[in-house]
Amino acid sequence: MTSSGEERRARDESFAREALPWMDDVYRFALSLTRDPADAEDIVQETYLRAFRSWHTFQLGSDARRWLFTICRNVFLRSRERQRFEVDTENGDAEALAAVRVHQQMVDDGTDRLLTRLDLGPAITQALAELEEPFRSAVILVDVEDQSYDAAAEVLGVPIGTVRSRLFRGRRQLQEKLMKYARDAGFAAPDEPQRVTPDA
Amino acid sequence: MPDVPDIDCLTAVRQLWDFLDDELTDERMAMVRQHLAQCRRCLPHHDFAKLFLQAVRATREEHLMPAEAGYTG
Repeated sequence: MTSSGEERRARDESFAREALPWMDDVYRFALSLTRDPADAEDIVQETYLRAFRSWHTFQLGSDARRWLFTICRNVFLRSRERQRFEVDTENGDAEALAAVRVHQQMVDDGTDRLLTRLDLGPAITQALAELEEPFRSAVILVDVEDQSYDAAAEVLGVPIGTVRSRLFRGRRQLQEKLMKYARDAGFAAPDEPQRVTPDA
Repeated sequence: MPDVPDIDCLTAVRQLWDFLDDELTDERMAMVRQHLAQCRRCLPHHDFAKLFLQAVRATREEHLMPAEAGYTG
């Protein structure tokens, strides 16, 4: 075998070893972006095609899953010809405080007990699907796919502060949707409302 | 063991998500942890937020529907 043939075989083997095992994860991420199985499959195929073509740029030993997520996200954005979102300058601290207020409301009306239910998964999945971009991508990457803020920032192509504010707002919106779900499901039956808001 | 500076409730809840995501420096993690151990008002927020994140994370498998779990491209 020629030298170039050996190099090609080594490249194919490293791609199969490093990239292919993440196909289910990439598909799940693509599905969360497109919300359509057929579109997600197209994006996965395009993602892996691009990944294979640029495999020589991948640094072996680095995080292949993160690298594939980045390509997947770019393929999705290009497929939709979406405009890039403006950098969100909203302060994440304000969102963290707003989440505390949502919790207080849920304590007051008894809907906070919802989280102890075992069958909450479908409601959360539905609420996730209803989240608007760019908040949904941030929540999916960090909360569902267990990526760090740094990794999510790289995948989304935005500063960490933007990931943080999008993530916190997305979480607050999720909590508000779950609170509504809980009320609709008849969970709003408070015992003794308990004040837990911080003093400050 | 070095003394950990006290922080107030507002500072603690501002950093609650970062704390739960383990995205604070070691010093700030210790400050929030100490505050939560001492504050009966902030601890419920922490516990609720933690339960919430666990519930969201638990949906990961649901995002991969059974018919698609074996997707191979």
